[in-house]
Amino acid sequence: MAYFQRSPLTPWLLLAPQLIIVSVFFFWPAWQAVQQAFYIEDAFGLSQQFAGLSNFIAVLSNPDYYSVIWTTVVFSLSVALGAMSIALFLAVLADRVIKGASTYKTFLIWPYAVAPAVAGVLWLFLFDPSLGLVTALLERLGIEWNHNLDGGQALLLVILASVWKQMSYNFVFFLAGLQAIPKSLLEAAAIDGANPMRRFWTIVFPLLSPTSFFLLVMNSIYAFFETFGTIDTVTSGGPGSATTTLVYKIYQDGFVGQNLGTSAAQSVLLMMLVGGLTFIQFRFVERRVQY
Amino acid sequence: MAILHLTRLKKRYPNGFIALHGIDLSVTEGELIVIVGPSGCGKSTLLRTLAGLESISDGELTINGRRVNELEPAERDIAMVFQNYALYPHMSVAGNMGYALKNRGVPKDEIRRRVAATAELLGLGELLERRPRQLSGGQRQRVAMGRAIVREPQVFLFDEPLSNLDAKLRVQMRLEIRHLQKRLGITSVYVTHDQVEAMTLADRLVVMNGGHVEQCGTPMALYAEPATRFVASFLGSPAMNFLPVTIHQGGVVLPNGTPLALPVDIPEGRAATLGIRPEHLLEATSTQNAGVILEVTIEMLEPLGADMLAYTRLPGLEEWLVVRLDGAHAAREGQRLSLTFSPAYCHVFDADGMRVSMTEAADAKARAVQ
Repeated sequence: MAYFQRSPLTPWLLLAPQLIIVSVFFFWPAWQAVQQAFYIEDAFGLSQQFAGLSNFIAVLSNPDYYSVIWTTVVFSLSVALGAMSIALFLAVLADRVIKGASTYKTFLIWPYAVAPAVAGVLWLFLFDPSLGLVTALLERLGIEWNHNLDGGQALLLVILASVWKQMSYNFVFFLAGLQAIPKSLLEAAAIDGANPMRRFWTIVFPLLSPTSFFLLVMNSIYAFFETFGTIDTVTSGGPGSATTTLVYKIYQDGFVGQNLGTSAAQSVLLMMLVGGLTFIQFRFVERRVQY
Repeated sequence: MAILHLTRLKKRYPNGFIALHGIDLSVTEGELIVIVGPSGCGKSTLLRTLAGLESISDGELTINGRRVNELEPAERDIAMVFQNYALYPHMSVAGNMGYALKNRGVPKDEIRRRVAATAELLGLGELLERRPRQLSGGQRQRVAMGRAIVREPQVFLFDEPLSNLDAKLRVQMRLEIRHLQKRLGITSVYVTHDQVEAMTLADRLVVMNGGHVEQCGTPMALYAEPATRFVASFLGSPAMNFLPVTIHQGGVVLPNGTPLALPVDIPEGRAATLGIRPEHLLEATSTQNAGVILEVTIEMLEPLGADMLAYTRLPGLEEWLVVRLDGAHAAREGQRLSLTFSPAYCHVFDADGMRVSMTEAADAKARAVQ
């Protein structure tokens, strides 16, 4: 026992389960993608040829790629900010509820248990151009809804579905954050003459900043990667490429178009982009966080 | 003139629990009122209703002649110092102190001037740019005070402000609060469960129990003449000794048959409680011709330095009789002790715990102590 505790191998042994999982499911595929990005492969995967940077050049010289980046930026910003602000609003309301509080909270947390693809299908039903409930309501208001034709509406729909899905996650964290703020601080602020609105913006909001920062990082990653299932079931990236985000384009080019080289190059570019974004968030946003 | 006036103030919670059963109290300008009582006696609830953090169910509260029952905390012109200080962790000391002024639209220059002046008063001048977490407990306490002072409100409310400090700092801050309060003439209501803090700070003391005011008066008046057994037991450390007695022939009789001559004004044969403070039990010397002598055995000793507490028992009685002896006393455990006391220092409480008045002579002597 004593030997086990003192052995230099012990920490590695204890870390092994996590390290093995991360290596097999993250580092190895990532390394494969990086490798693949420098090769051209035939459609059947039978032969490979070193191609240098030509995959990257092909991706970056295609103007379509920049419109996908733009779509991704609009989509991710809308999803992250939408999901966070709605969740914060609901958390503030739920924090005040006294009667039946746990029922409300349970209902608000539920969407998180729904798989992205299922969530996508639900929204698809609601907004179906000919049968959808919401479509019928919108029609009465004089709004023509057909996300199969209108790219803007399609983007709005995937944003809505993605926001709805992520909102629960944010809600749990915001609610926990709100409950961690001592009541006496708000009472002191009330005595100090701050009205509820001012109390929220000068006391509650700054004290939630660690939670908000964490959620900003998590929501960005969610919007970049995990919305794939929603997009795939709702619009499949269409109409045209109106709802094609970077991660969806990687799938389309690689698995539908069988162009593994440029798809891998895009993966590398996306990894760099998200890595850079997270770095910026930690470097510049975190400075303003009050712990 | 009463700055703060409470008339039959009641607090009933939605679940039916009554926290305050009609409190009457007047606080005059510059006075420091200490509300003291055990946990759950309603003292904090009372303070919170004064602040406006709890609604008033019944009765009236006026500040400077103005009814404030329905007013928001901010409109009552009060400041409160919280037990955990409730400093805003994301603001500097200056930010914390200036927050209330900023909310009221006071010009920036004036805020800076007033914050600097208050910080100077409290010795916080060097710390204005620090965050609360970079401060020690005592400094945080001062910032919380400063935040209240800078506003120049009508009334200050203190909610157990010293209970998070260590014993030494508590004594120091107690003196500082007293000093500041007198110097600035701040009308204050101070809640605590610590009876030493209550005795030393108060101009007037309010002892609360179970949502009622048990007694209100100067600390020494309450100490010398507690109106109820509860007040008698709550004030003073170590606590007053209580012995069950029966009334017999103008005096009381202990359960073991020892008669004591006391001029009590209560019908014959009733059960009652005799109270006497440890410091009023004296060792009987041969030269003294004391009226009452109690023969006890010392079972335990607690040396406190200046004093020595002797835990003794009368033969055949369960109740402790604590005696405060001189610190240098040569007492040993198991030793026998002859005790005497003056009837003037005896308190008798009836079966309901109410004080039983004594005849003239005893009363006059009791009053002389005040």
